[in-house]
Amino acid sequence: MRRRVVITGMGAVTPLGHDVKSTMEGQLAGKSGVGPIQQFEARTFPTTFAAEVKGFDLAQHIPENGPWDNAGPNTRFAFAAAKQALAQAGLLQDTKTDRSRLGVYLGSGEGVQDFHAIMWALSRTYDPATRDYDVPAFTRYALELFHPQREAEQELHTTAAHLARYFGLEGPNLSCLTACAASSQAIGEATELIRHGDAEVILAGGAHSMIHPFGVTGFNLLTALSQRNDAPSKASRPFDLHRDGFVLGEGAGMLVLEELEHAKQRGAVLLAELTGYGSTADAFRVTDSHEDGRGAIACIRGALKDSGLSPDQIDYINAHGTSTKVNDRAETLAVKAVFGERAYQVPMSSSKSMLGHLIAAGGAVELITCIEAIHRGWIPPTINYETPDPECDLDYVPNQARPHRVRHALSNSFGFGGQNISLIVSRFES
Amino acid sequence: MSVSSRRVVITGIGTLSPLGAEPDTLLARLLAGESGIARISAFDPAAMPTQIGGEVLDFDAKTYITDKTQRRALKMMSRPLQLAVSAAALAMKGVDRRQIDSTRFGVEFGAGLIPSELPELGEAARLSAEDTPARVNLQRWGQLGIPTIQPLWMLKYLPNLPAGHISIFHDAQGPNNSITESDAASLIALGEAYRILERDGADFFLSGGCESKINPVSLVRQCLFEKLSRRNDQPTTACRPFDQNRDGMVLSEGATVLVVEELGHALRRSATPLAEVIGFGAAFDRHQNGQGLAQAIRAALRQAHLTPDDLDFVIGHATGHPDHDAVEARGLAAVFGPHGIPVYAAKAALGHLGAASGATEVAIGILALHKGVVPPTLNYHTPDPDCPVRVLTTPHTVQKKAFLKVAYTSLGQCAAAILKKWE
Repeated sequence: MRRRVVITGMGAVTPLGHDVKSTMEGQLAGKSGVGPIQQFEARTFPTTFAAEVKGFDLAQHIPENGPWDNAGPNTRFAFAAAKQALAQAGLLQDTKTDRSRLGVYLGSGEGVQDFHAIMWALSRTYDPATRDYDVPAFTRYALELFHPQREAEQELHTTAAHLARYFGLEGPNLSCLTACAASSQAIGEATELIRHGDAEVILAGGAHSMIHPFGVTGFNLLTALSQRNDAPSKASRPFDLHRDGFVLGEGAGMLVLEELEHAKQRGAVLLAELTGYGSTADAFRVTDSHEDGRGAIACIRGALKDSGLSPDQIDYINAHGTSTKVNDRAETLAVKAVFGERAYQVPMSSSKSMLGHLIAAGGAVELITCIEAIHRGWIPPTINYETPDPECDLDYVPNQARPHRVRHALSNSFGFGGQNISLIVSRFES
Repeated sequence: MSVSSRRVVITGIGTLSPLGAEPDTLLARLLAGESGIARISAFDPAAMPTQIGGEVLDFDAKTYITDKTQRRALKMMSRPLQLAVSAAALAMKGVDRRQIDSTRFGVEFGAGLIPSELPELGEAARLSAEDTPARVNLQRWGQLGIPTIQPLWMLKYLPNLPAGHISIFHDAQGPNNSITESDAASLIALGEAYRILERDGADFFLSGGCESKINPVSLVRQCLFEKLSRRNDQPTTACRPFDQNRDGMVLSEGATVLVVEELGHALRRSATPLAEVIGFGAAFDRHQNGQGLAQAIRAALRQAHLTPDDLDFVIGHATGHPDHDAVEARGLAAVFGPHGIPVYAAKAALGHLGAASGATEVAIGILALHKGVVPPTLNYHTPDPDCPVRVLTTPHTVQKKAFLKVAYTSLGQCAAAILKKWE
């Protein structure tokens, strides 16, 4: 018998609130977290809006000073979400658990580059005639202008390390960054580490923000973002005929994954069971997902096989649903390929219609949404769904939350670059 | 701990490092006591506090990538990505691709932050900078700057794209992950590939890592927050792991890709196993006293069903960092006893390949097992009482069948892998 993995804690910081409750209730109310970008002057960018986390102050969650003071929003959101998750799991003040059996696996993003310092130093040292820059002169500016600690905190392993040190998690400590699939992949691989016996408990999830000048520039250049600047809250419209790209979001989602017997012995609340994990690559193009959803099909099938469930047993799908032309069409095709006729009976909604795309953190928050759906018996809608797309003809739970009994839910995350992850969570049943 | 009947072997090595592009050459040069460290030539490092590093000189990805479509894709890749796909091509050289099921073919890669190559942002910066230091006018950036940048700019720098491109080049549709655990990244990637193969999630993996910090932005950043050696006038003796006079790390660049596969799969396609992966462990060194490293090593030993005495040598993380070397030495001493096991420090000769270092040094260990001799550590002259390790300074004849590779990040993430000679 393989070791079973349950979820015993959850935490979130999202554009709809600073905890799981407000994030879920906002979604059930069909609220949009999208608005004009406040963090920097974006009025002349091709896209001027995003789903930002509002009014967040880390000091309300973590009163102490530490390296996170110099960290980007990714690490700051991660701390607040991790604290909520560990508190719910009863592992914050706990002294009985062997800390060497508690690990961390994050799919978390980079910190924020010092756009102004680096671009200004470049501007002073760049010669348009040669299209090159004077490296020694650039170096001198950089040594003067770059903030050493803030630079250090941009590195990709810092978030997982700071969480482990602060919360006393001395087991395996890992990070991955597979774009939009990252936190789902972290949760899947963390589940496997527990199944294998590498740890009893893993804090798994992700945190990310790309709402900064380089991030918006990069996605705008790829023409991946919606440019519906006159109606930001209407811009994220997954599966709608008039969708024109995704909306950047930011935030964090954290889950405490735990081996079942370990959780029972501690008397932890068993929120759900992680029953299925599938992982594939499109191996197609770095810019697009495979037109026929090849990788996504294999990925969903992999998660079903891992869980031992048949497609008939899945009650709800939280879609990757980015609101890009290609993704929503390919994901629809993939779900039809795997579920057959049943695809039309399984409600599938996109949290991204309200939260935007949290990139590396998206999968974790969406999995939490699935678990909340199991508990509440309500599934969130896809908002801004106005004009059906003939190529997207499934039940996307348009615009209104719906009461629905959910025993098993599937969450898809497909990364830019071709990484696909599907996770299945189930109501806990002994 | 669950027991799997599936065994995991390494059947191929592709490596590009400051000491060459052939595994056998790499080992020969290490055995000859050569150093890959020199004054940086890729750009003028004159204003850098640290001006030395390990470069892959005369690197041209087209040497390794011959397919037309793939060559076109090179334009979308920064240097670390090009190093990665080149090392992958080298690793796949002897593999008959038709014998591998695409859906059972995965990629596990270690990668770090990849900085922008600045000239392509130069025009945008020039058009939008203010006179005030460190101020860019974002309205001008949006209006005038953004249109001057190449549409696919961002794709050159995403850390999941080394693995993404490799999956496309080799039609690898299995699990695909990019581990971003800094200096431990590619060792952890190997550990994850090993776990996935054990649990029957794939049959065949390309697992490795890539990094180039020989880039003005990377190097200046690292100068600001890392302890780098400042022995600019003596590059080849600058990196001195465990030596009392060590003054910091030396950064370098490269990529190593290992072919990692399930034993039966390897034998069915008549591949020659070079080594077997028999144990892996990871932990966090919360108090930065070596206990986490010891914990990771013990976990790997337990899985390998070995005792510390069964290991012949360790390839240390051993960067030449004043503090981290001492922590690592304490961790090793906790498991093997003070001066208890021969330790080889490859970074003295190669420099620190960052996210690629774990895979590169695993490759060196495998080559040493085969050759029956471990290279001497360069630049170790004055033992440090704070580093109670037995550093190999002369070629060491291998007597036992297994070795340990460890990795350690600046913040305390630890990984340990045990590999055994294939028989």
